[in-house]
Amino acid sequence: MAQLSSGAALILRHIDYGEADRIVTFLTPEQGLMKGFARAARKSRKRFGASLEPFSRVNLSWSEGRGALCSLRDAELIDARTALRADLRCFALACYGVELTEIVLHDASSQPEIYLLLNAYLDHLVTATDTETARLLFEVRLVQLLGYIPHLLHCSDCFGPLGTDLVVFDVSRGGSLCDLCSGGHPPLRVQAGTLGSLARSLRTPVDRFAGFRFGETTLSEGRHLIDSVLALTLSHQPKSLDLIDKIRLPPGP
Amino acid sequence: MIGSLPSFDRLVAELSKLPGIGGKTATRLAFHLLRASREDSQALAEAVLEMRQKVRFCSNCFHVTEADPCTICTDPARDETRICIVQEPQDLLAIERSHAFRGRYHVLHGVLSPLDGIGPDDLKIAPLLNRLKREPVEEILLATNFTVEGEATALYLSGLVKPLGVRLTRLAHGIPTGSDLEYIDAATVQQAVDSRREY
Ligand SMILES: [Zn+2]
Ligand SMILES: [Zn+2]
Repeated sequence: MAQLSSGAALILRHIDYGEADRIVTFLTPEQGLMKGFARAARKSRKRFGASLEPFSRVNLSWSEGRGALCSLRDAELIDARTALRADLRCFALACYGVELTEIVLHDASSQPEIYLLLNAYLDHLVTATDTETARLLFEVRLVQLLGYIPHLLHCSDCFGPLGTDLVVFDVSRGGSLCDLCSGGHPPLRVQAGTLGSLARSLRTPVDRFAGFRFGETTLSEGRHLIDSVLALTLSHQPKSLDLIDKIRLPPGP
Repeated sequence: MIGSLPSFDRLVAELSKLPGIGGKTATRLAFHLLRASREDSQALAEAVLEMRQKVRFCSNCFHVTEADPCTICTDPARDETRICIVQEPQDLLAIERSHAFRGRYHVLHGVLSPLDGIGPDDLKIAPLLNRLKREPVEEILLATNFTVEGEATALYLSGLVKPLGVRLTRLAHGIPTGSDLEYIDAATVQQAVDSRREY
């Protein structure tokens, strides 16, 4: 008898398989990224209902299956987060969060913090009024959890103090650089205040999104900064960025 | 694989590409064709080729058709002021089976799926907007699936169509006919409550 496991999970995506089945990608706190085979999930609503839709938080039970695919037994829906379907920008950002998570986690290893982060991000998007802050917070925290956070508040070369005004940021050299170390043509300059805001946000719990609001400068400079970090970190550019760029709608309801 | 029968293996390989057919089933089907009459095999091969040759997409609504425009687009009895938007030709057929809609259709051939890199430009959305310019459309019925992607696509289309002053409707969504409330999943019940109507 195959061993039965169960626990909380976030549904990331599914693809149809054959006439009636589905292959579901999901994230669990203890076992990380997993794929499961959901037999008859398209035809019969009895066992899985609407539980296997992307972004849903569920209680899932599964047994070991053939190879890398486990076999899904049962899913109890806890939160379908249907509000994410009512706002295109939130939908696109939710897709982006899911895709980033998939790109950075390629295997089934324990990732309770990343689970907490993605879960809180999706929860927050449901009610978010400031989706740009939510996105930036998610990105910097994810990068931090992966251990790729660049040096922000001191020079990444000499570890000395930074200027109080504009700071050179070069992710290929490890992050912020002091005036002495920067030299040449700096790829990016950001306000010291932006670095401070980002660093402060990293000292808060990974699942806290409510109450954050980055200013305009932090948002635009932070965007360039984190984009340069992600470009160096990710194996490929997330596809969902296309839709985000296409729907330049005013954020939130 | 039966190494000494390359032609048989080739057929098995082709059959295995069909949805829901694995290697075992493909082999069984190939053996069946081997035992069936030569005429049956001929008919099957010709049917596949003829279908591929004749069936294409309607240049107006993108439903599958042998005549372009399709018979729905050219049927004068159809209400040309209403267009129902569906994801796939199969969805159009499902609505036709219901006999509940007598307008015309527009098949998107997919839904927005950011995770797979499928965006608005990959769907038949631009031709839809062109139709709205030249056809006397008063109502658009959004009939994409009630999945995350289907809902997002409906939302995207509503953003494009609303400013044009066309009436927008969405398929109702809730408890299936003939089912017991007790056995319906929570998300469906929630939708049914949310979209309740005067009675
Ligand atoms: Zn330095
Ligand atoms: Zn047509």
